[in-house]
Amino acid sequence: MRRTLLILAGVAVAVLALPLLGLLQRTPWTDLGGLLTRRATLDALRVSLVVSSIAAVIVITIGTPLAWALGRGDLPGRRLIRALVVLPMVLPPVVGGTALLFALGRRGLVGQWLDRWFGLTLPFTTTGAVLAAVFVALPFYVIAVEGALEASRERLDDLEGVAAGLGAAPFTVLRRVTLPHVLPAMGAGLALAWARALGEFGATITFAGNLPGRTQTLPLATFLALETEPGHALALSLVLLTISLAVLIPMRDRWMPTR
Amino acid sequence: MTAMTLTGTTAVGSLDLDLNLTVHPGETIALLGPNGAGKSSLLRLMVGLVRLTSGSLRLGDVTVDEPDAGTFVEPHRRGVAWVPQGTSLFPHLSVADNVGFAPGADGALVAGLIERFGLAELADRRPHQCSGGQAQRVAVARALAADPKVLLLDEPATALDLDSRRSIHTALTDGDRPTTLIVTHDPVEAAVLADRVAIVEEGRIAQVGSPDEIRRRPAGRFAASLSGLNLIEAVATGDVAATPSGAVIVLAEPFHGPVRLAIPPGAIALHRSVPDGSPRNVWRATIADVQPVLDRVRVVLDGPLPVVAEVTPGAVEVLELRPGARMWAAVKATEIACHRA
Repeated sequence: MRRTLLILAGVAVAVLALPLLGLLQRTPWTDLGGLLTRRATLDALRVSLVVSSIAAVIVITIGTPLAWALGRGDLPGRRLIRALVVLPMVLPPVVGGTALLFALGRRGLVGQWLDRWFGLTLPFTTTGAVLAAVFVALPFYVIAVEGALEASRERLDDLEGVAAGLGAAPFTVLRRVTLPHVLPAMGAGLALAWARALGEFGATITFAGNLPGRTQTLPLATFLALETEPGHALALSLVLLTISLAVLIPMRDRWMPTR
Repeated sequence: MTAMTLTGTTAVGSLDLDLNLTVHPGETIALLGPNGAGKSSLLRLMVGLVRLTSGSLRLGDVTVDEPDAGTFVEPHRRGVAWVPQGTSLFPHLSVADNVGFAPGADGALVAGLIERFGLAELADRRPHQCSGGQAQRVAVARALAADPKVLLLDEPATALDLDSRRSIHTALTDGDRPTTLIVTHDPVEAAVLADRVAIVEEGRIAQVGSPDEIRRRPAGRFAASLSGLNLIEAVATGDVAATPSGAVIVLAEPFHGPVRLAIPPGAIALHRSVPDGSPRNVWRATIADVQPVLDRVRVVLDGPLPVVAEVTPGAVEVLELRPGARMWAAVKATEIACHRA
């Protein structure tokens, strides 16, 4: 029995580890310097960092109030909103991108008004890529912060009540008690959301296209290079893998139980 | 000094509260009652975390909650500092920053409280590095640093060891205090800390009076827990306190001036011969009466220290406790709760 379980667990580890080993084994280590400093690589890296970082700022700005409303407030339609929040996590990103296109495209539900009133076009722009990234990354942040608020709800209620009794106005309570209390969860959620935004592919290519220097992010460049120059694709993959690990390792204690 | 008048109803969860309580300026009231009676809800009502559904709550000249008039003053404008049950320190702040949390807190007041509550050596520690008793002292100091009109303490010394409990009680009885409400389910704590006791049962104030009044005329099941308590007025000089009738009682720590002592009847041991052992108050007493109460027996003692002891029916047989019998009575100094009168 025990042996069977261990064998199956070993299979699971192999499923996770083998692709990475394959990647490392085929990486053209000798040409790596040249591949990484190529114009196309640097452009894609720049677009990726800009898009995912702006997306992270937006996620924290609108995601924190949403997490607060879900985790603390008596929000009407809370269950529906919560389902909506999780949806982008399970939805194929290409469906998300299609939805964005039909909502915010030049003929879309909202997009036609943006175009007519403000002359604003979102599809196939860097802003569009940011929007696609926000769409897929927001759930990761909201769930992390909401979970932290929910888990310590009674305690936090007490702490906020104490602060109010000491004369702290609601905004002061938020700034000096509530936010410090969920700061670790905000950090963990933000790291996850940022990493998710960095790896976004489907929604981006559908909604923002694949324009080098503007919307072509690292994952898009990787996919494109795979057709023409597999060595370059491997080098780009290595960059993404390195960044993901760099985010994951300092944060692992946050969502992985440690002994 | 601020008076407080509460007449009103509200509901918290499945508990309906119908409350009627007046607290005089500068007074300390203990809210005594069983768990779930509504004591903590009453405090939340005063802080402003629970609203009245009818009636009114007044602090001094200000009506802070009156639904019929559409009046509701936000918690941060009430001047009601609250120390909830359990750990309530801000975990991300040091002890000193916790004490000084109140916006606009007076620096000199904060420094004075840190000194008075013996927190100077802990000033840089985080709450998780403090013991339960230390954390509770920080919480009380933090509340006083806001210079509140009303101080609310929810079970301030429950779940603490005896030393911490005593240090909290001492801190609470030293120096000035605003109008104070203390929630407790410990009759001894209520008797030694409060000017008056309000018995809270099933969402209502069942009885209000001085500890002695309630002891003499308990109205209700929980009030009766005070009736067994021995309350003694005495004058302390250091480690000993003298009663008007001439008895001398050894205390666990020094006091000076008039004090109020509370001795739980179960803490008084009766012996046929002189007991030996740790520092004790031992005296010769004559049994005036023996009264069975439920599964215990109350033994009324005459002599220089007229008190009631509570023993098991078995002890009555073994020790042959009968009215008129001469016994040795003993009580440990640490079992005697002492508070400045």
